[in-house]
Amino acid sequence: MSVDPAGIVRVANLVKDFRPGFGLRRKRVLHAISFNVREGEIFGFVGPNGAGKTTTLKVLMGLIRANAGEASVLGCDVRETQFRRHVGFLPENPYFYDFLTGREILTFYAKLSGVARAQRADRVATLLDWVGLADAADARLRTYSKGMLQRVGIAQALVHDPTVVFLDEPMSGLDPIGRKEIRDLILRLRTEGKTVFMNTHILSDVEMVCDRVAIIVAGRITYEGAIEDFLEGDERGADVVIAGLAPEMGARLEKQFGACLRGHGYRIELRVAEKSVSDVLRMVLGAGAEVLSVTPHRVSLESIFLSAVEKGRSGESG
Amino acid sequence: MTSLARIGTIAMNTVREAIRSRLLYVLLFFAIALIFTGVFLSALSYVESERILQDVGLAAVRLFSVAIAIFVGVNLIYKDVDRRTVYTILSKPLSRTEFLLGKYVGLVLTIWMQMVIMIVAFVGVSQATGAPLTEAHAAAFFLIAVELALVVALATLFSAFTTPMLASFFAGGLWFVGHLTRDLRDIGANSDLESVRRFTGLLHRILPDLDSFNLGVEAAHGLAVTASDVWLPLVYGLGYIAILLVSASTLFERRDFR
Repeated sequence: MSVDPAGIVRVANLVKDFRPGFGLRRKRVLHAISFNVREGEIFGFVGPNGAGKTTTLKVLMGLIRANAGEASVLGCDVRETQFRRHVGFLPENPYFYDFLTGREILTFYAKLSGVARAQRADRVATLLDWVGLADAADARLRTYSKGMLQRVGIAQALVHDPTVVFLDEPMSGLDPIGRKEIRDLILRLRTEGKTVFMNTHILSDVEMVCDRVAIIVAGRITYEGAIEDFLEGDERGADVVIAGLAPEMGARLEKQFGACLRGHGYRIELRVAEKSVSDVLRMVLGAGAEVLSVTPHRVSLESIFLSAVEKGRSGESG
Repeated sequence: MTSLARIGTIAMNTVREAIRSRLLYVLLFFAIALIFTGVFLSALSYVESERILQDVGLAAVRLFSVAIAIFVGVNLIYKDVDRRTVYTILSKPLSRTEFLLGKYVGLVLTIWMQMVIMIVAFVGVSQATGAPLTEAHAAAFFLIAVELALVVALATLFSAFTTPMLASFFAGGLWFVGHLTRDLRDIGANSDLESVRRFTGLLHRILPDLDSFNLGVEAAHGLAVTASDVWLPLVYGLGYIAILLVSASTLFERRDFR
């Protein structure tokens, strides 16, 4: 299969409308969104609840039909079925046939995915071991915990050794240990050369695992690019902790450099823009105060995300 | 993997689900209990006790099989959509039609399996009481099996787009009406009004004529059954099932799983 590595997943001007009830009125949930996912990257599709993340993923998986626009995975239109031989999917809060055991459910998915009979048992055993369920392999799924079911979900998405893996909120509802395990699994997928598309609203996970992100707010993409560029685009600065600065000097720093002053009395903290750090330090030391520490500061993904969401929402209402 | 193999995988999983479900065993227990009850009912009568025994037995096989077909059938697709198991299954290289056909075939096989158990009980009771078993019995059971396949197709159609409650109401209602359409047509044919004759004739053509699968009288009375008594309903049933499954597949293909 020859596919453009810059467009393993391609979405162009995708539109989706839902009818909220039985009436004729339609509600647009995706407003001509476009983005691309590149080969071998972990792509974070980030947005608040109700932004359209799961709807987009369901269009890509052929579970719902778009009203307009194009969506392709590995160069194939998402309405086809055969490309799914190379695609794995973990839905949000997955549910499986709980009358089956872990081994039986993975064998079932392996059969459906076209894994050859000769390799099926080995592949299932490998995956069970990989996700840490080898000991529970022959227990019925109804006895599994939520974290174990999530791991079954990951295993069924990988049982046929897919090229692209789609994960919908893979860490939601898991405890910190479970989240770390899933995060490690995702990072392992990257080392194996897989392309991962991950829907999430947990920003710390995005920062830790994703190479590129697209932010979706109210059905519109507000940002798409490398996570580093996303963070670089915003102003950097430093937190300067000072001792013995006269109060009038603090007020002057605030006025002159737009510094943000916290604390009072002997020890104060200043947040200043990166370009002003040298001037501020010179002025502080010149005034006979003591600089206790200078900590480089970067605007957090969360604050950038919140401002992107705010921008998206004001754009929607405007 | 071929399309048939994918349908087979879904079908075998559906059979396994039924085998591991307690509900089916409960219904099967009551069906067999009713077949055995025929022995006591027939003992109450001085005449035609063997006919009563077999009437009750055949009715038990039909009614309990139809009950299982409807109650399991209406949940067939709905449950997978409601519990979202369909998300992971349809993300595999399998079409929605293959999934639907696999579920259908699996349930038909399950119902035929439990029907075989009921027939074994029926044959055992008949032999123990000396009631005769003829070719007409085999033909009657064969046509009940075809009728069940049609009822499952009805339940599958409704399960593909509505809730189990409504689907069981529609499928159960159609099964009941399906056993009356022939009588309705005959009653309408005697009417003086052309419109009534046309309407009852139309109903008979559109709705399933399930009485055409009923050879219970022939079997219980030991009457002769011709080949056309079997193959005509068989062809009719297969045609009707095909129309129902194509309709179910068309509806299911267009659905959004929100």
